[in-house]
Amino acid sequence: MAAEDLPSQFDVVILGTGLTESVIAAACSRVGQSVLHLDRRNYYAGNWASFTFNGLLSWIEEYKNQQELQITESEQEWRSLIEDGEEAVPLNSVDSSISNLEVFCYASEEEEQEEETKDLLTCPNAETVSEETNSDSTETQDTVTSDDVTESNVKVQNEENEDSAPKEQLHASDISEHSQSVEEKQPNRSPADPPAELQKKITYQKLLKEGRRFNIDLVSKLMYSRGALVDLLIKSNVSRYAEFKNIGRILTCRNGKVEQVPCSRADVFASKQLTVVEKRMLMKFLTFCLDFEQHPEEYQDYSEKPFSEFLKNKKLTENLQDFVLLSIAMVTQQTLTEEGLKATQHFLRCLGRYGNTPFLFPLYGLGEIPQCFCRMCAVFGGIYCLRHSVQCLVVDKESNKVKAVIDTRGQKIGCSHFVVEDSYIREEQRESIDYRQISRAVLITDRSVLPSESDQQISLVTVPPVESSGPAVRMVELCSSSMTCMPGTCLVHLTCSSSGTAQQDLAPVVSQLFHIPTTPGEDPSEGTGEISKPAVLWVMYFNMRDTSAMDSSCYSLPSNVHVCTGPDAGLGSDYSIKLAESVFHCLLPDEEFCPPAPNPEDIIYDGDAPQAEGRGFDESNDTEANKSQAEEEGTTNETNPENSEAAEMDSVAQETTLDTNPPSEE
Amino acid sequence: MSRKKALKGKGSSNTPNSSPSAEKEKGKKVSSQANGVVHPSRPSLSNSGEFYDIAFKVMLVGDSGVGKTCLLVRFKDGAFLAGSFISTVGIDFRNKVLSIDSMRVKLQIWDTAGQERFRSVTHAYYRDAHALLLLYDVTNKSSFDNIQAWLTEIHEFAQQNVVIMLLGNKADATHERIVKREEGEKLAKEFGVPFMETSAKTGLNVELAFTAVAKELKHRELKEPNEPKFQLQEYVNKEMKGVGCCRS
Repeated sequence: MAAEDLPSQFDVVILGTGLTESVIAAACSRVGQSVLHLDRRNYYAGNWASFTFNGLLSWIEEYKNQQELQITESEQEWRSLIEDGEEAVPLNSVDSSISNLEVFCYASEEEEQEEETKDLLTCPNAETVSEETNSDSTETQDTVTSDDVTESNVKVQNEENEDSAPKEQLHASDISEHSQSVEEKQPNRSPADPPAELQKKITYQKLLKEGRRFNIDLVSKLMYSRGALVDLLIKSNVSRYAEFKNIGRILTCRNGKVEQVPCSRADVFASKQLTVVEKRMLMKFLTFCLDFEQHPEEYQDYSEKPFSEFLKNKKLTENLQDFVLLSIAMVTQQTLTEEGLKATQHFLRCLGRYGNTPFLFPLYGLGEIPQCFCRMCAVFGGIYCLRHSVQCLVVDKESNKVKAVIDTRGQKIGCSHFVVEDSYIREEQRESIDYRQISRAVLITDRSVLPSESDQQISLVTVPPVESSGPAVRMVELCSSSMTCMPGTCLVHLTCSSSGTAQQDLAPVVSQLFHIPTTPGEDPSEGTGEISKPAVLWVMYFNMRDTSAMDSSCYSLPSNVHVCTGPDAGLGSDYSIKLAESVFHCLLPDEEFCPPAPNPEDIIYDGDAPQAEGRGFDESNDTEANKSQAEEEGTTNETNPENSEAAEMDSVAQETTLDTNPPSEE
Repeated sequence: MSRKKALKGKGSSNTPNSSPSAEKEKGKKVSSQANGVVHPSRPSLSNSGEFYDIAFKVMLVGDSGVGKTCLLVRFKDGAFLAGSFISTVGIDFRNKVLSIDSMRVKLQIWDTAGQERFRSVTHAYYRDAHALLLLYDVTNKSSFDNIQAWLTEIHEFAQQNVVIMLLGNKADATHERIVKREEGEKLAKEFGVPFMETSAKTGLNVELAFTAVAKELKHRELKEPNEPKFQLQEYVNKEMKGVGCCRS
């Protein structure tokens, strides 16, 4: 079914399906550009991808194989397609953005066979695994998934509701109402692990068998509820393709003890760790941060000094200084005051929109988000080919612009613009190399680091640097109702900017917070303190290249080639969204970036026109006709906002309905 | 080309400062329940302004050009998209409320958006489906041969209890027919899925395919403990119309 040839001309060819590239694809396609979107991998989202457990094992396998592979290239094939006045710029065929990958399994292998030396990287045939899963009870899974349909509406509504509401301030009542409305839904929607299952040991076989229930992200990020990504999802209507869960709590690790960070007004008042004086102090400080620009006298003496010093000066207790610096502003000791204040303000402004914390997480993992934008692109006519790459660019010598690309099947495809993910660019095309690295660990554990009444919470844990100069480690603990891990487990992501290999950077934190069995399946010995920690069942360490510091001056490429850097180390995705927007404006300066997609219900098909008898089912391969039809559809199928007065009236009416329908039922 | 686009009377989501599509779902959400179905005693308003009691997602799958979009449009709007080849543009999903045993069942029917053309359908597409309609074209052998590959993909990513139905489309094209009805039946039997032949052009069995799926889904969702299982294939066999019989 994939034997079809591609059209020979596109407005934009995009290589790589990471977040930035996918947003650009959707934005271009949305305004009527013809888009060809390719990825050399057999899955979407590149380094932003999420995998089932078995899928991740294959990804690891692939990585190992690639390390051994000697790249042999056959350039001759496409040489013949280069004409006079053209120059070829070859692209990378191998991705080297992942390094230092290490995997350790601590789950017992008992169940099926007796202990044997495990080759951790050899997973049993995926087919048998899925066979086995079939026999499993599917009831829980079904309930959860069908539930999600409604959950998404809940989320979107929450935000629309908020948007239309004039009050956007940090009102304690607001916050508690919101968090409650979300909380109330939790018990229903989680497949709440029966206590019996909790006690049952989870073996490696079980992880494989339930592998489909995992959606393990390569990149760990959260969405700021008023960040660029959430705003874009709402603005473009791409949010209709995804569902979200709010992050339930923010934790920090102080002196080896995990505790909750009070961040909203409600939290501060409810906190048991803070004294009354501290509560008042913190509230006063946070209220100041919300509109700190109004009170420059408070901080201008510190504009050249670190935020940490400013906090000290504000006479916050050490306790509170740590909370604000590490868990609310999430900056380092060296960050300057104004930046720290801005970060604190951003955090506070995001509070209360969807719940108790400023963050959302997409159900089924972050890897969903690029795919949602790809769907939007496809709906507006973008053509998608996975397992398909570009071998080289064809550059017109005279204008020094890319005029075509030659794909991996040897087809020459014309284009006006070429957008490409950084890892496809060869060293020869780089002017300067400014790589940083991100250290990542992914753990499957048997319970939460801070058990509470509801075990179905997503937690953000900020872990202070072990040495004062080191980077703070960010940990996200996902529960099974986030649809990223099997019931009875937690999926834990650790992220920091690298100073060494991922294992060197993160293993100390892992052993600080988790119990690592000395032999697979071993119980922690009593009285060591280990018993209170969650046990690690499986862990993977790797480094991912962080190219976010690179800009166009780092590449020697034609002006109509736009390079998208990969994921950065930050907690939000604002960097990638802003990059997508700036590339889009570079390509199409006069077009709007991701205007709202029309409601599918607004497009109707009318059968009154005479039917072309006999013609209807001819499988004619007249590509010219196809193309013109596609063009026609691409340009006319959307409702025009300017001249659809009736429609506008209607939506006003809609809003009225909304108002008469009080949100009290939520 | 008889394809025409027009604005429905109902709202458009192009108003800059609001997102009516989300707001419209308000009504739906208010009475929605935790496990995805909407409580029968509290009717809700769908996107298109119709009330419904219970809602499901149905996904169309199959090779490019087998008539997925045509089937959807025939079912939703009663129209047929003529023209030699319509690659899917602009169709995302459509809602239709059916009346099944005095209950209003909303089907949200999703199209592949053309991503099937080079076998690049996103996993989320399968995962969200309550039912999958798997189509081939009776005038195109390779679309029939690829059914196996589609089923592999479905089994890998879809929920394990997803309702699957095999449809041989373009059954009106008697002269160009290459895949015999019996071959379709045999394949369906092999995979244990219900089967029928349809024609988006004449409307043959189109309504039935969606109704049968809606019945099955509704039955599963609201099953009384001792109620007998709904026999999807039996129902289909009873209601199905043969090719050339009549134009439903």
